[in-house]
Amino acid sequence: MKESNFYSDEFEQLIREKTEQYKMYPSENVWKGVHNSLHTKRKWFIGSMSFLVTGILFFSGRELLAPGHSSTHKLAAAGTAPTNSFNSDPARSNQPDDNPHANFVILHPANTAIASVRHLNSSDHLTITISHPVVSQPDLSELLSHAVRLPGEVPSLIEAGKTPTVAMTKAPENPQTEPGLLDSWLVRNAPENSAAHRNTDAPALHNTAETLRETGETSRETADDAYVRGVIEDLSARGQQRTHPNAQINRNLSTHQGSVSNKIKDSAGGAKASTDAIGEASDLSRVNWLHDYAVYSLPPSPSRGRLFFQLVLAPTVNYRNLSGGSMASSKEVGGSGVRTGNVMSWVDQSPALGFEFGANVLYRVTRNLTVKAGLQFNYSHYKMLAYTSPLQQQQQTTTASYRTPLGNAIYLDSMAEAPPSTGTNPYAATSIQATLYNDYYQLLAPVGFDLRVLGNERLQFNLGATIQPSYLLNTNSYIVSTDYTNYSKEPSTFRRWNVSGAVEAFLSYQTGLIRWQIGPEFRYQLFSNYLSSNPYPINENLKGYGIKIGITKPLP
Amino acid sequence: MTEEAILQGCLKNVATAQRELYNRYSPKMLAVCYRFAHNREDAEDMLQEGFIKVFSQIHTFQNKGAFEGWIRRIIVHTCINNLKKNKRFNESLDIVHAHGVQVREESVPSIVQAKQIVECIRILPIGYRTVLNLYAIEGYSHKEIAGMLDIEESTSRSQYTRAKQMLEDILIKKKILSKPREKAEWLLAIR
Repeated sequence: MKESNFYSDEFEQLIREKTEQYKMYPSENVWKGVHNSLHTKRKWFIGSMSFLVTGILFFSGRELLAPGHSSTHKLAAAGTAPTNSFNSDPARSNQPDDNPHANFVILHPANTAIASVRHLNSSDHLTITISHPVVSQPDLSELLSHAVRLPGEVPSLIEAGKTPTVAMTKAPENPQTEPGLLDSWLVRNAPENSAAHRNTDAPALHNTAETLRETGETSRETADDAYVRGVIEDLSARGQQRTHPNAQINRNLSTHQGSVSNKIKDSAGGAKASTDAIGEASDLSRVNWLHDYAVYSLPPSPSRGRLFFQLVLAPTVNYRNLSGGSMASSKEVGGSGVRTGNVMSWVDQSPALGFEFGANVLYRVTRNLTVKAGLQFNYSHYKMLAYTSPLQQQQQTTTASYRTPLGNAIYLDSMAEAPPSTGTNPYAATSIQATLYNDYYQLLAPVGFDLRVLGNERLQFNLGATIQPSYLLNTNSYIVSTDYTNYSKEPSTFRRWNVSGAVEAFLSYQTGLIRWQIGPEFRYQLFSNYLSSNPYPINENLKGYGIKIGITKPLP
Repeated sequence: MTEEAILQGCLKNVATAQRELYNRYSPKMLAVCYRFAHNREDAEDMLQEGFIKVFSQIHTFQNKGAFEGWIRRIIVHTCINNLKKNKRFNESLDIVHAHGVQVREESVPSIVQAKQIVECIRILPIGYRTVLNLYAIEGYSHKEIAGMLDIEESTSRSQYTRAKQMLEDILIKKKILSKPREKAEWLLAIR
């Protein structure tokens, strides 16, 4: 060994001292790794929020963007076999706007010469316009002037993707020149259990067709009668599908249907059918059916249209109001003299942009008053001007190194007064500005009302107000020290639960089923962000201004 | 924020307190890890693992000793556990006579910097380096080292002796340390 023992201990001491002086600054990723492994709750929170937002977006997308989608699924899920009332062959439908999901039928006479089926709107209304009504127009108008709402549950009657037979009940215009069409039309419109369906070569069918071809003008009337018969059969079939408590209705329907069928059969078999009798019978059948069914089977509908789902998004400008503190009047600042003002004058702060996003369920109490409740996420923040020294910033030292304008003035004064002999680092005397952001993440449960002040159903002007219980998700914001000179972080100071109040005014406009709204909103936090039990004397109340955009759709 | 407040915050799993603790001690602890590790990346991995242990076991800390010392022990044990997973490290502990280390001669620095000493220690073979770190710098006894590294106490002693000899040679070749007869004077001079 080359060394002597006397120096061994000193050598070790030297190594120890020098290595102790050595420091290395780890990269930020190290802290992120530590933090992520320690705060799995944060991961759960992020995951839950993502799930919530995704769920809201999915629901809104399904309900607002594809309103008919859910009803389509319901019908498809019903999976019932097609009945004789509906066409099971898509090729037989030549209507460009077939609505296989129609459950709301409006019948009314018209002077037009063409029978047609058309939608009233894109949802579930079907209009049947009858040409050449066989009953007098005033009577039919009286009977059919009301919208006849069939019971809402229709899956047994409708097969998704299929066209109702009623859409094809228009007879060929000229049976003489279109014999093939007439045959096929009769087959299609004959009841499923009829001979025409069982055997298309049945003599009765041919006789009927032949008679129609031969009778010229009379055949036109017969074709129209058959058209009416098709309508009646369809309506009768719908009536038969329902288990109506009043069995008399079904009996009436069967009776009248049989009566009409017999009359039509007679007319087809004979050279001259009595069109008056057929018209009378069909009219009677329709009157009875509509009368009974409309009176006894109309579902109650007052509850419809009262519940709404709403999505709101509002870019906001956020700020805060500071109050309290023991030094609310004046403070002496070194060589700068006395400064006066409350705590708001000791800090330099400015608003910043945030946003709020949420979903509400609305219930229309009256035509003008709507109450609402929901869930909302708010991100609000504002910025503060702070001061630090380059050395402190470089070292990324504690948050207490950030000074308020007041603290900076005191700092600079003290540095200016310090004699050079004290060894004060002149580099540390300089200040650089830094911008601090106070971020607040809140979950809120707004409960309130909207009041229609002006307007009609389409365009309205509303006023609204909500009370919003809130939960603060983060507590890592800066607070100003009690002497107003520094910014620091003290999570235990923050109040998690709070209540905010919000008022808004908005214009709303209805397009189809969707109502859009836009208008200004003002929100103010009712209690201080800091716990009253805490000795910290300053109060901070957040406030925000925003433009709220909303989209509302009725719930089924 | 005082150390007591940090400790209380960490006990409540408050992120800001944990960050404060991390900011305060991570530079020193990374230097500790760096002396044990192969490179900086490994050192940061050890540091991360060590701090996770610190925060998760902070409730076991009793105010009987220095908080920094408690953290340091956890970090050192984390480093040792990481090294023991390395087969090369286990083999190196059995080396009786390590081959000479190729050291490039450098000019004499005006001031002996801590970084140079650390870098010289890192030149040592990993077995030597570990024992030197534990005994000379961290202050563990040979008995404790033997228990930590699963070796004989005598092995620890011999490893340390050779490690110290090798470090001395390195320091001399790098002209950080003078010739043996001048060592004592040099040591007094740089103090």
